[in-house]
Amino acid sequence: MVDIVNIRAHAKDLLEKGTVKMVLGYQRGTAGVLAEPAFITDAGQADHLVWDPTCVQNLALYLVNEKKAQSHQRDPDTRPIAIIAKGCDSRAVAVLLQERHFERKDVHVIGVSCGTLGVVDKNKLSKALNGRVATKVEPHGTDSFKVTTAEGFVDVAAADVLADRCLECACAYPAMHDVVFGEKHEDRGYPARFTALGQLEAKSEDERWAYWEGHFNRCLRCYACRSVCPMCYCPECVVDSIELMVDPTTSADEKANRIKWIERSAVASENSMYHLVRAIHLAGRCIDCAECERVCPVDIPIRMLNNKLEKEAKDMFGYEPGLDPELPSLVASFRDDDPNSFIR
Amino acid sequence: MSSILKKTDLGAWAAALEAEVFAPALADGVWAYQPVAPGANDGGVALTHPNTARPPKNFAFPQREVLYTFEQLKGQAPKLTETLPNPAPVVVMGVRPCDGRGAPRNDMVFTGAFDDPYYQSRRAKTAYVGLACNTPPSPNCFCKAVGGSPSSKEGLDVQLTDLGDRYHVVAVTPRGEELIEAGGKLFAEAGAADEKESQRLHSEAAKCEQRTFGDLAAAAPALKKNFDSEMWQSLAKACIGCGICTFLCPTCHCFDISDEVTGQSPMRGERVRTWDNCQFPDFTMHSSGHNPRETLGARLRQRVNHKFLYFVENNGTQQCTGCGRCISFCPVGIDIVAVLDRMIQA
Repeated sequence: MVDIVNIRAHAKDLLEKGTVKMVLGYQRGTAGVLAEPAFITDAGQADHLVWDPTCVQNLALYLVNEKKAQSHQRDPDTRPIAIIAKGCDSRAVAVLLQERHFERKDVHVIGVSCGTLGVVDKNKLSKALNGRVATKVEPHGTDSFKVTTAEGFVDVAAADVLADRCLECACAYPAMHDVVFGEKHEDRGYPARFTALGQLEAKSEDERWAYWEGHFNRCLRCYACRSVCPMCYCPECVVDSIELMVDPTTSADEKANRIKWIERSAVASENSMYHLVRAIHLAGRCIDCAECERVCPVDIPIRMLNNKLEKEAKDMFGYEPGLDPELPSLVASFRDDDPNSFIR
Repeated sequence: MSSILKKTDLGAWAAALEAEVFAPALADGVWAYQPVAPGANDGGVALTHPNTARPPKNFAFPQREVLYTFEQLKGQAPKLTETLPNPAPVVVMGVRPCDGRGAPRNDMVFTGAFDDPYYQSRRAKTAYVGLACNTPPSPNCFCKAVGGSPSSKEGLDVQLTDLGDRYHVVAVTPRGEELIEAGGKLFAEAGAADEKESQRLHSEAAKCEQRTFGDLAAAAPALKKNFDSEMWQSLAKACIGCGICTFLCPTCHCFDISDEVTGQSPMRGERVRTWDNCQFPDFTMHSSGHNPRETLGARLRQRVNHKFLYFVENNGTQQCTGCGRCISFCPVGIDIVAVLDRMIQA
């Protein structure tokens, strides 16, 4: 069991000593049952921190944002940032380290074990409560949640409301950490990794195409999946060219004829292109925090795309990202035993 | 005069309408307006939705609209072909009062100072059959705080009120009367008891607890006063800069125009209008490289100020109808009600 009191004490200690400039964590929000990100810079506010199954966000994103903000500051505070990280989040931090986005000394990882549980899926929770509105979710034993609603308490089986990613989680215990809260559980008793993907892979090509066409068709191109992803840190994304070099000599033709890889129209062809480009760019980097899928307002199963490439990386190269910050990243390394049958 | 429609006759009514009928249905886990199959009988349409994920604004203002096509042979003048839409009549059923109130607000944008023939031709063919909220469909509902009500008829052509096994039906506009007439004998005249029950439900719904930020009239001056406030940065600290809040908004209407080339020699393509989004990095990007709204705080301020200050100054009403989607769907809990509350308190 993770006791929030211990996390708060640790955060408070770090901030009081000034060894970190900020603690990234979770606090209660006003928007609903889910916790919201907290940016604690004052030891006095450490008591705002919460830890429960509604702490869904992967806060590693804010390490990236902070790094970007720092590059614009004249005299930046270079002290490390402490981050409360679940297992998946810790792997995201490790990938960012593998990619040299920042140095190990720049981050203090406060790992928290999800134990036998994980975080809730808001849609599943709302379905399980059948119209009632959850105001609080707490772990209850090893396999259920105690949910508070206006009408009283409900005990909900974890397997019914855990996020899909948590059901197949391979890293409920932080892969890397400076300090860790909670215990490690070897057998979580949920489906094996890639179970859902396997079901999709078993379908025929036509069925899979129909499946994805249907899903991509309703994509709004709000880019929430990209924006929430800690690995989608490119300063310029293929879908919105903000870095187009324009100077007084740039002609109208040059501006007009710049390559638009993907049109703005939210139609199946452009939407598919967007999602596939994003998936390819995450191959060997995605650690399955599945934030992309969680935030999608129209429930596109984006996680399945990334899972597929995660599985490819594992099957072909025996590569799993984010387990060892010292390991070179997949796409930036070559090993003699890498499969190379495509080279003729 | 009002009427009564049995719930089991809703599908028959939809089938009797000479229009494409859309109603909320759960598809792939998402409540969305789906076409009602012609000949949908009993149970074919059931308005059991809380609210749809996407508002119905796309019926008049689709995410992609072709403005005209172009074609140019080398050395010749370009040939432009107008593509004004001429859509079939559309009836959208089950529109919640907040979304109904979105329609006249969008009308203000695309009618009047700027007459937009694309919007207007679709809007003229679109009718909204609303469904009053007997209870708030979302914990983030705040229609009352922005001058609406769970039984508002604004923007609707017909209003339905759920009386259990039947709907109490009120025509709001002449188009609404036509729709009811098209249903013929499916509609019975409402008795005094039904009207009384409908009124009772409306007044009960008005008493339901909703979210609020207090005095609506205080919002615009507070936002004006706090334009340079540092609170914007801290309120947007968690913002990821995605487009959920505005794409799902029933009243957000900003758009971009671009040329989509579909072929060379002759060069041809379409000039299209697509939804744009004040939260995106390229929304205000200048070709010089300067971005006047570089930070997420400035973009959050723009979104809130547009709805509660600029639109009020220009049109005398808020450009927010309290549906709560931007709150419920925000990945990181950014909450426009809490933002307004902070600004008014400051």
